[in-house]
Amino acid sequence: MSNNPKFIVSHAPFVHYGSSLQNKTYHTIFAALPAVIVGLLMWGVPAMAVIALSVGCSIIWEYIMNLILKRPQTVDDGNAALVGLLFAMLLPATVPWWLVVLGSAIAIIIGKMIFGGIGGNPFSPPLLAIAIIMVSWPHYLDFNVALTGYDFDFSMVYPLTAARSLGSTGAEAWSTLDLLLGKQSGGIGSTFSLGLILGGVYLILRGFIRWEIALSFIGGVAITALMFNMADPVRFAGPVFHVLTGYTLIGAFFLATDDASSPVSFLPMILYGIGGGFLTVLIRNIGTYYDGVVFAIILMNTASPLFGKIKPKAFGRVE
Amino acid sequence: MDEQKGLPTLLKIGIGLLIVGVFCFATYSAPTPETPYRVAYSTVTGTATFDHKLHASDAGIGLSCLDCHHTMEDEEEVPEACGECHLKGEGSEDMIKRADALHTQCIGCHKEFDVKPVDCNECHVKVQ
Repeated sequence: MSNNPKFIVSHAPFVHYGSSLQNKTYHTIFAALPAVIVGLLMWGVPAMAVIALSVGCSIIWEYIMNLILKRPQTVDDGNAALVGLLFAMLLPATVPWWLVVLGSAIAIIIGKMIFGGIGGNPFSPPLLAIAIIMVSWPHYLDFNVALTGYDFDFSMVYPLTAARSLGSTGAEAWSTLDLLLGKQSGGIGSTFSLGLILGGVYLILRGFIRWEIALSFIGGVAITALMFNMADPVRFAGPVFHVLTGYTLIGAFFLATDDASSPVSFLPMILYGIGGGFLTVLIRNIGTYYDGVVFAIILMNTASPLFGKIKPKAFGRVE
Repeated sequence: MDEQKGLPTLLKIGIGLLIVGVFCFATYSAPTPETPYRVAYSTVTGTATFDHKLHASDAGIGLSCLDCHHTMEDEEEVPEACGECHLKGEGSEDMIKRADALHTQCIGCHKEFDVKPVDCNECHVKVQ
């Protein structure tokens, strides 16, 4: 019986996400499109170059790795394309081509394939790639430097650096509506907050991502930012600003919710999300990096197996 | 996943996107306006971004080019960037270094008109 392939199970994800993995990834790409399209309209051809190269390279890296590892081809499940898209959404439109090629290689090879492909990755692949680039080549991710050639009818200072330098005064340069409509500097697909929220809500309603993680992450960011803001309203920006700037929303809906690197039970998911949100604001306000989302989620990915130890009570069991 | 003959469909799309990406990178570059919008100075204490458009435009502070670009003879001339003469590193008796020139120019003017930013960390932002 044990030789019957029907009884051989693989690693997580085990949560029911719809009809198929392919279905899930294509719907996630669809949900990301509003933010991507607004990013393309804002940043133009350079943004298209980054997105096309990132998605193309990610698919090709996965194909090559499957050939090398002698594994069945998996590129048609769409996950490599999704990883490439999410990685591109985090980058400024003016990054050099080699950084895109290298980043997509890190995401696919180090972030995913060496762990056995989808379901085996301990970290969200696009986040791992962006984290390695943040540490190794931080100046390419400095939006204030990268986007000096662009000018719009809103402040082009990266909101989180403005808040870091000038506190609440710096954050006042953007209204909530500005931030929702993407009138802020940032990554190609991470500025249009409204699009990210719509995409996230769509994924939650269709059951492709867990609302517990996304909402608890946003809640964690908001509550921690509120506490900082109440402690020192001059030095620290408020919760709405922190939720609508930087990588918060793309992190909450598209990165923290990665199946393999996040917990599956209710309480662990809530703790994972709140912990990620808490660490995000902690790093932003008193840490070294101006945006803490990347390292906060990676740290919570690391802690995810520990959260998995919190087991749900067996259904129907009587103590 | 079922074995299939030929290249996977998404791989073909991926190769197409790779070609589009290479073409876009080869033919387009980041926009470089004739008159800079902002100038980002990378320093050991973090990047200091100077909003050139805000200072130079009539809708903003409305400074004349000659207010800062002191080597210019008249407004028609194309101004030299600060860093062309005031080089990074150590200065000389004839030419003060870039850091001193910019600090004197920026902080001096801001103090004179009593406007922010003036403190170090209000301009210099470290990305890590």
